[in-house]
Amino acid sequence: MTPLAVNSPVSGRVVPLTEVPDQVFANAMVGPGLAVEPDRAAGAALAPVDGTVAALHPHAFVVATEDGAAVLVHLGIDTVKLKGEGFTLHVVKGEKVRAGQPIVSWNPADVEAAGYAPICPVVALDAVAETLEPRQADGPVGAGEVLFSWRR
Amino acid sequence: MADNRAEKILAAIGGADNVVEIEPCITRLRCELEDGSLVDEAALKAAGAHGVMRAGKAVQIVVGPEADTIASDIEDLL
Repeated sequence: MTPLAVNSPVSGRVVPLTEVPDQVFANAMVGPGLAVEPDRAAGAALAPVDGTVAALHPHAFVVATEDGAAVLVHLGIDTVKLKGEGFTLHVVKGEKVRAGQPIVSWNPADVEAAGYAPICPVVALDAVAETLEPRQADGPVGAGEVLFSWRR
Repeated sequence: MADNRAEKILAAIGGADNVVEIEPCITRLRCELEDGSLVDEAALKAAGAHGVMRAGKAVQIVVGPEADTIASDIEDLL
């Protein structure tokens, strides 16, 4: 099977998951991946792959492909506490989306001003770390550009 | 019943009486408990938890992407 290209939901700077200030992500407890330190500008977080919105919160979502690869995008750390304030959803749970489609609008600068780290972990749920190939280990990434590929 | 994870997790955090609040967050259950010392980490891992983070009465249980479903199942048991 062709490796699955997982695209960055936001533009910013790529950093390893280990730099995410949250044990669950830093220790890859739900899966391996990368994080993006987002540019501090209002914008939409994009679907990382083609698939179905399998889980949806204002501050986080999962898109699952037809063959069951699920990618988690989390917009900031502990941002569940913002209770959706500052996040605008553009899809509903169960909706089919295309990679690059806007899922949630938000502003990382506002999240930071509210006292939360706006960093965005992008996680291949339940994947084996060796199946991921980062296209960019660190450095800048644009929203919609490939972040890593996932051998399935 | 194919899946009694919710019951097992609820038992492992001290039962319904010990729960102040449970909130799902995509891959984890964020629990606020009356008494954090009643948490049985081994039982949580046996019930399928990937990890458990404890800070007093606040306990986070990493259960994977079914967190939303499990949380609503637990709510039904409260």
